Amino acid sequence: MSSVIETRDVSKHYGEGDTLVKALDRVSLGIAPGEFTAIVGPSGSGKSTLLQLMGGLDNPTHGQVHLANKDITQMSGRELSDFRRDHIGFIFQAYNLIPVLTAAENCEYIMLLQGVPEAERRERVYAMLERVGLAGREGRFPHQLSGGQQQRVAVARAMVSRPDIILADEPTANLDSQTGSDLLDMMHDLNRNEGMTFVFSTHDPMIMERASRLIRLKDGCIDSESEREA
Amino acid sequence: MMMLKLAFRNILRNRRRTLLTVLSMAGGYLLVSVQLSVTEGSYDQVLDFYTRDTTGHVQVTVDGFVETPTLYKAFRLTGDLQRAIDTVPGVQASAPRIESSALGYGDTRSFPVSVRGVDPEREAALSYLADKVSAGRYLTSEPDGQGYAGVMIGAQVARQLSLDVGEELILVSQGADGSLANDLYRVQGILGQPGDAEERWVVMPLAAAQAFFVLPGEVHRLVILGADYRSAPRLAERIGEVLPGQELSASPWQTVAREFHETMTADKEGGMITLYVIVFLVCIGVLNTVLMSVLERTGEFGVLKAIGTSPARLFWLIVLETLLLAVIACLLGGLVALPINLWFTLQGIALAEPMDISGIVFSHYRGQMSAYVFGFPMLVILIAAALIALMPGIRAARIVPVDAMRTL
Ligand SMILES: Nc1ncnc2c1ncn2[C@@H]1O[C@H](COP(=O)(O)OP(=O)(O)OP(=O)(O)O)[C@@H](O)[C@H]1O
Ligand SMILES: [Mg+2]
Repeated sequence: MSSVIETRDVSKHYGEGDTLVKALDRVSLGIAPGEFTAIVGPSGSGKSTLLQLMGGLDNPTHGQVHLANKDITQMSGRELSDFRRDHIGFIFQAYNLIPVLTAAENCEYIMLLQGVPEAERRERVYAMLERVGLAGREGRFPHQLSGGQQQRVAVARAMVSRPDIILADEPTANLDSQTGSDLLDMMHDLNRNEGMTFVFSTHDPMIMERASRLIRLKDGCIDSESEREA
Repeated sequence: MMMLKLAFRNILRNRRRTLLTVLSMAGGYLLVSVQLSVTEGSYDQVLDFYTRDTTGHVQVTVDGFVETPTLYKAFRLTGDLQRAIDTVPGVQASAPRIESSALGYGDTRSFPVSVRGVDPEREAALSYLADKVSAGRYLTSEPDGQGYAGVMIGAQVARQLSLDVGEELILVSQGADGSLANDLYRVQGILGQPGDAEERWVVMPLAAAQAFFVLPGEVHRLVILGADYRSAPRLAERIGEVLPGQELSASPWQTVAREFHETMTADKEGGMITLYVIVFLVCIGVLNTVLMSVLERTGEFGVLKAIGTSPARLFWLIVLETLLLAVIACLLGGLVALPINLWFTLQGIALAEPMDISGIVFSHYRGQMSAYVFGFPMLVILIAAALIALMPGIRAARIVPVDAMRTL
């Protein structure tokens, strides 16, 4: 089966000379459709860096990142932003919703960039917000929602534009375990029922339990990998 | 629509800062608009007065006369030509003039004078000449009982030659045919006060001047008044079309009084410089706040970019936000400027001392209400806002998402 995302010999170095940090060192990795993958490893091992490179938020020092059979490291800023818009969903540790937009508008925003007609946008947003358990809160602004609710909006925002893959950097780190667990169940559901591909970076055992594939990073290299039936 | 909503909500986020920015831009608008209104109003008054008083709006002369007037460059003003010009659309009045110089003699002394031959009725309908009589009477076309033509003399002529109303003035000069011209005239009126532009004038009926200078049926200028001094160049063109070609031309006052026009224009532009300085200072302040608001939201822009907003769209968001501020500022500024400009236009500020130009009194600085006075500052503010947004906009567009989001 071909990969949704593939990294080929990807390295990311910060600084130079004595202060050179190899945040990632020649990582080659493929993510297959429908995976629910967790990238784990000690702090500073390069998890966030790997997700950022996979999502085209930053350029690698060496190597290539292929998504939908295109090398995104060769793209211009404009192409890359279009590419992120159409193919990748992001969920961040700090939720990162747009504070001046309501829950519904936050979700609608990407579809607007994609040129989805208004009626369809509304329908998809309302369905998705209901799906993540936020029916009736569509008109609330982020500061009127709890952390868990904001992260649900973030999940809905990532999902609703129908990307190929969702990249989530420690999505449960700011949530209490009950809220985190509920959120994970919801994403796991979306993964199994709708086939959405997820890649997490995490320290959270709850994510590791549910993951179909576990990638361990150490000092910027893949240390070990394990797979299991979900 | 979403971008507009986003821009609008963004500017409402920091209301105090938005208020300050809007107020400073509105203040800039107000200053520019009011100053423009008063400047335009005053120049309007001056130019309207000046053109009526001296040049008219358009003049028909022999080619080259307006640049170098001489006795010999005169043309025959036929009734047909006069009628053709008077029926050009926009022409409100016209009056022929002869201009040359002569030596004036009183009882004992002589004094160089500037001689003007005018048509008393036509001149009265066109210029302020009739309003300037300070003693005696205005000119009449008919000679007096003894066959002398009546003249009006400038105050300085009266003083130098010790002449008063009713006394005799002798003029000596050269006729256009080279002959010696001399004749006797009866002083009928005195013009203005010493120091006025007319102080050395001797004004006589056109026929008398034609006889004196030996210019039968000829004149130097046909001075024409249109509806408005601003439209003089267009009126000149239209009049030019009815001239019998050859050696006559129609010149707008801007050409006739080229130096005066250039001085006024330079003066006006000089006044604009202070305005641009004000606008520039306002801009620096606004640039500072816009930059600050962009800097503060670096992380947020990183997120917008991460989820697929293109650099161009981010740039437009910043431009839109700044333009929105500018539009609000212009509306606010316009709202305040409206009654102020209206007051200046209707009421005006009284001059410390009324200005008396040859007997015509200016007592007030006046404003002007026009699309220009309100539209131009708006244009300046909007263009300035767009320029201001350029740098912060480019900055936002260039943000690298990861770096930006690290600031969150
Ligand atoms: N902008 C940067 N400049 C310099 N070094 C950086 C930068 N970003 C990351 N690093 C370094 O790269 C390495 C990998 O960082 P990364 O954030 O990927 O780790 P992580 O596995 O996500 O850690 P954590 O679990 O704490 O989030 C670290 O040693 C970090 O110090
Ligand atoms: Mg990390």
